[in-house]
Amino acid sequence: MDFWKENKTHIYWNPYFGGFMLGLLLIATFYITGRGLGATGGTKSAVITTVDKVAPGYAKESSYYSKYYDEEKNPMNNWLVFETIGMIAGAFLSGALSGRVKFRVQHPPHISSNKRLIYASIGGLLFGFGSQFARGCTSGAALSGSAVLSLGGFITMAGIFGTAYIVAYFFRKMWIN
Amino acid sequence: MKEEIFISGRNLPHIDPHLELWHWPISLYLFLGGLAAGILFFAALVVLFRKEDKYIGAVKYATIIAPIAIGVGLLALLYDLSHVWYAWRLYVTIRLESPMSWGAWTLMLVMPVSMLWTLSYFKEYFPKWNWDFGFLSYFDWIIDFVIYHRRVLAWILVPSTILLGIYTGILLSAFNARPLWNNSILGPLFLTSGLSTGAATIILMSKSHAERRMFSMIDLVLIGIELFLIIHMLMGMLAGSQVQHEASLLLLGGEFTVSFWVFVIILGLAFPAILEIFELVGFKVPAIIPALLVLLGGIMFRFIMVEAGQLTRYLY
Repeated sequence: MDFWKENKTHIYWNPYFGGFMLGLLLIATFYITGRGLGATGGTKSAVITTVDKVAPGYAKESSYYSKYYDEEKNPMNNWLVFETIGMIAGAFLSGALSGRVKFRVQHPPHISSNKRLIYASIGGLLFGFGSQFARGCTSGAALSGSAVLSLGGFITMAGIFGTAYIVAYFFRKMWIN
Repeated sequence: MKEEIFISGRNLPHIDPHLELWHWPISLYLFLGGLAAGILFFAALVVLFRKEDKYIGAVKYATIIAPIAIGVGLLALLYDLSHVWYAWRLYVTIRLESPMSWGAWTLMLVMPVSMLWTLSYFKEYFPKWNWDFGFLSYFDWIIDFVIYHRRVLAWILVPSTILLGIYTGILLSAFNARPLWNNSILGPLFLTSGLSTGAATIILMSKSHAERRMFSMIDLVLIGIELFLIIHMLMGMLAGSQVQHEASLLLLGGEFTVSFWVFVIILGLAFPAILEIFELVGFKVPAIIPALLVLLGGIMFRFIMVEAGQLTRYLY
């Protein structure tokens, strides 16, 4: 216990090891649930529920929302929503185990917290749009898709990481001096 | 014409085949009643053990919530009544065979005592007030009197809060036509859940590390008892007659399975228990998270039991 406290205040896994474990997790997910992982699907359910509450009937009419809308079923009653709850709970446990649970905004020293939050929001928005064009995010389309050898999955993977590689060049000043 | 339906004896709207009379105010009241009982029980116990100085959050701060919780709960009950102005009739009779009568009289005792309890700490909440000044001086001697007799209040509260907590469950289990409710474990189960949410509230209101630690341990034991009772309730139903068996299936594969297992068992009991164990072992977990989860689990448990119980029925 004391060993952890003294030596492992910031324990990050080796990224390659983390990726390997993520692959094992994906195999386990396919074995247990018969599906892959998904991260944005839960948010989509929350959005559709909100739209349906604010503008009743609109979700049913809209060509996009109606695909995920079923009048008899609450959109929140979706395995992805519960997967997301589990993800938050699990991440919290893992953070607590490595002593990293506290309220904070992580940012490089030459950027303010507000700036970091604004850029993060913009990035999140773009990613949200992109994930809906691709019909899945890094987890749902790229990871789970390529795991079952779906061509769309590989293209999404190449698209996400290829674009990130190019765009990172222009935004690198935000992170490194 | 539909005479053949009218004369069948089964035309009982909102009662047969399913009860459709108890809505969210009842669940909210059962939760708040249990919560207040839990808080006051621990506060009284602390005073009786003469540990007031060590567990200030329990005796002084969490207890402010108790009369407010009972008050809001009772307002919710009144809101749910069809004939609000007949509510006073509960207090012109004592019916030992009716759990509702027991509850009404228990509340009649607990509510004023909980208010007196908060009154006894009034001077400590507002230490800068000049109590010799103007109209305040009339209250001064009352407060001093209550402070002097705080142990008497504690002796009254210990049995009466247990009665209050257990009555919230027995109120449901007395419905002999609703198999999900009609079991003798529901009373102790609701009492345990109420004590657990009470302990969680004390953790939320406490500023001292030692106190949070103590009540985390208490909460952990209570969560264990609660899981034990839930398992035995379900086992008893599965081993029971066809109606009990079908009632339990609502929570084991039916309509309420996901909400019950995800929000009550996993997020409301097991996950906070793990977090509390982490905390006790020495990992840094903000005490507020498991406490809020226990409260969430408690409120979800009341809503699910009230909703699901109304759907279950005898087959005839």
